[in-house]
Amino acid sequence: MKLKRGQVLIDPPASASSDIAFILIIFFLVCASVQPETGLGQNLPRTEAKEQEKEQSKNLEVSITPTSVVLNGSPMQLPEFSEKLTAALAAKTREADRVVVVKSASDTPYDQWIRVSQAIDIAGGILTLELASERTITVE
Amino acid sequence: MKIKRKTFTASVPSFAMGDIGFLLLIFFVILARAQDDSHVQWDPAKLPELEMAGAPLANVALDTQSKLFLNGKETSPEQLAARLEAILGDTPAGQRNVFLKVHKEVPAQAFEPVIEAIGEAGGDLFHILEPDTEKP
Repeated sequence: MKLKRGQVLIDPPASASSDIAFILIIFFLVCASVQPETGLGQNLPRTEAKEQEKEQSKNLEVSITPTSVVLNGSPMQLPEFSEKLTAALAAKTREADRVVVVKSASDTPYDQWIRVSQAIDIAGGILTLELASERTITVE
Repeated sequence: MKIKRKTFTASVPSFAMGDIGFLLLIFFVILARAQDDSHVQWDPAKLPELEMAGAPLANVALDTQSKLFLNGKETSPEQLAARLEAILGDTPAGQRNVFLKVHKEVPAQAFEPVIEAIGEAGGDLFHILEPDTEKP
């Protein structure tokens, strides 16, 4: 003869469901706020103004304006700039020759500047900023 | 004749301790994040092919009105290098991450001195940007 086991049903208390929902909301909010950020890394060695000034005459010069990019005096758009810069840097093997001196018009938006900066980075150039105060910093 | 009052003992149920601990943990996590620069209004520039960012030692931001913030507190470009040096201290190179968040329309005259200051302080500059998913 089989004996039936007594079954015990335990329902979670309904009053706790709002607490559970609240904790889940907070959990997903925190998860959403700690998503990793993306961007573009650049190494900035400390300023060495005088030594770099002598080298700059040999280096490629880039001027950025709000609407265009000027490479060694020739204005162009960004896709063309990327191609010409890659070609110009391809022949240069010494690190010192790969320095690209960048001057920006004071009203150049960051959006435009960072696109040119990335193009120089992809082409293998070492970006050097020439600021209005005639101080230079190198960006690898 | 004295009537004795009934005494009630109210005890905190011990099974709720886990929930209380969890809520406190979340509270402090949110509090820690509230000290960052999330109140700074800026719209990031978009670029394709971005890298994942590591953990920053300092957050520098330029908002829509070209106001400069260091870790959420307003500062000036002249003070930035010294303040960053104090924050970065003797941290070895490669771990001196400084996040730079610049509103996409801020002009060069505002953001270039900031980049220079980060360089002077010996920070490892990381531009915070948004991935451009639109096809050209």
